[in-house]
Amino acid sequence: MRAKIFTLVVSLLFVSGSLFAQQTSEDSLNKNSLSSSTTTIGGYGNAFYQRNNNLGTSSIDLQRFVLFAGHKFTDKISFLSELEVEDTKVTGGEGGGEVSVEQAYLKFNLNPNNYLVAGLIIPRIGILNENHLPTTFNGNERNYVETFIIPTTWRELGVGLFGNFNGLPLNYSVALMNGLNSGGFVHGKGLEDGKFEGKNATANNLAVTASLQYYQGNFKAQLSGYYGGTVGYSKRKADSLGLNSGIFGTPVALGEGDIQYAKGGFSARGLATIVSIPDASEINRAFANNTPQTEYGAYVELAYDLLYSSNHPRAQQFIVFARDERFDMNYRVPANGIPDATLDQNHIVAGFSYLPIKNVIIKADVRFITTGQQNPALVVNPNPATLPYQVNNNLVDIGIGYSF
Amino acid sequence: MCLAVSAGMVIGSLSSCATLPVYKTAVANKQVSVPTSLFAQSNFQLIQPQGMYYNIGLRKENDGSYTALLLRCTHADNQLTPAGNNGYVCNLHGSQFDTEGHVTHGPAEHDLKKYPTQIISNQIIINLI
Repeated sequence: MRAKIFTLVVSLLFVSGSLFAQQTSEDSLNKNSLSSSTTTIGGYGNAFYQRNNNLGTSSIDLQRFVLFAGHKFTDKISFLSELEVEDTKVTGGEGGGEVSVEQAYLKFNLNPNNYLVAGLIIPRIGILNENHLPTTFNGNERNYVETFIIPTTWRELGVGLFGNFNGLPLNYSVALMNGLNSGGFVHGKGLEDGKFEGKNATANNLAVTASLQYYQGNFKAQLSGYYGGTVGYSKRKADSLGLNSGIFGTPVALGEGDIQYAKGGFSARGLATIVSIPDASEINRAFANNTPQTEYGAYVELAYDLLYSSNHPRAQQFIVFARDERFDMNYRVPANGIPDATLDQNHIVAGFSYLPIKNVIIKADVRFITTGQQNPALVVNPNPATLPYQVNNNLVDIGIGYSF
Repeated sequence: MCLAVSAGMVIGSLSSCATLPVYKTAVANKQVSVPTSLFAQSNFQLIQPQGMYYNIGLRKENDGSYTALLLRCTHADNQLTPAGNNGYVCNLHGSQFDTEGHVTHGPAEHDLKKYPTQIISNQIIINLI
């Protein structure tokens, strides 16, 4: 496996080497340069009201406020970044709120079809991870499959090669990044808290991701995968915890496939994903965090733009949609794990998205949630200290979003 | 079930898998020259001018004229990817443009740059101005 990683690194270095080798034709490049250096400022954000019918609670939150800053030094080299504030405010000593860098990387264009990125990058896994602006998806909340099974806006430090093949409607990506931290896994949150997101990541363990996208007619299809180690400790410490260390020690594997269709005012998308953690038993023995062996998720969404007109496409949009999300965050648990059927969930989401212009969206939706029964072995505060668990719930969301 | 049906439809379409014709050419005097004969089989051609970091989408219209679009996203200057019948997409932030270069999905707010074209002696001349 080390040989494969070595080969990948050498390949990326070779590509970057060829990038700089092209400096010999710099004169001709400058001659055909389309623009001088430019700086781009952009951003996105969303706020929404949510009513939880079981709890009888309501909340309003400016969930995300994100600023882009990008600078194109030349047609060949750019810098791109996103800085995010979640929940508006971060106060010392209090929970909630987050300030984080979502992306920050240098982009090297190799030619019109291929580019190399290096820094804090978002790998192409699923649909929402790469394109997560609120104006590009239906529903106030991001779909739960691409939140709890595929972590949302999953970014790590690394290098990646993105591009498409000449003569074929086929895109690809491949990236080498830091891995996850299995000690950070939290029961019921999937891989989410095992991410480093650029903050003091361990680099003894690494991960590779790759994807293929195919366009044909009104269809777009994608396959993507991730494989990475989750133990970044020294071998001595890992051995003491009974964990396999090394580049791909105690691995997480994720596979994903999705398909999208759009014609006129109609659109449809479907996605399926599965996560495998074969050494979950060892992780549980070391960290007692009830890590599952297998998680899966899938959803299908149908949408129609009632204002679609072939004469004025996308002038205004009023999209009605329905989505069926199914996922299980502990589909299979090791012998030393505790099954939790509340993590086996089905969500039906329906609502509308109104875009008076392409960059502003008003959303309303209702989410009907059904889960399995609570496992008494996992109840810390039994009734009447807490309300009895209800397997059915619904959330009503009304919100706004923008991007520019 | 829906996923399976959709997957089946795509697999069916693979049998008629279309290629994406590409023509590489040099830039001379801020102009690109493309033979009209390339459009005998298809009404679309991807043009790759030497030394440029963006493709040009060249489409033959029903009236015999040609539309040349610079495939550079008007949001953050990223390269665009042809997306079948649905125009062009930017993988950076998700902007989309139709085959005529109009924005269909933000965050981009401006249509694609369109280059003027003319036909001289069976050559389509794209003026890069």
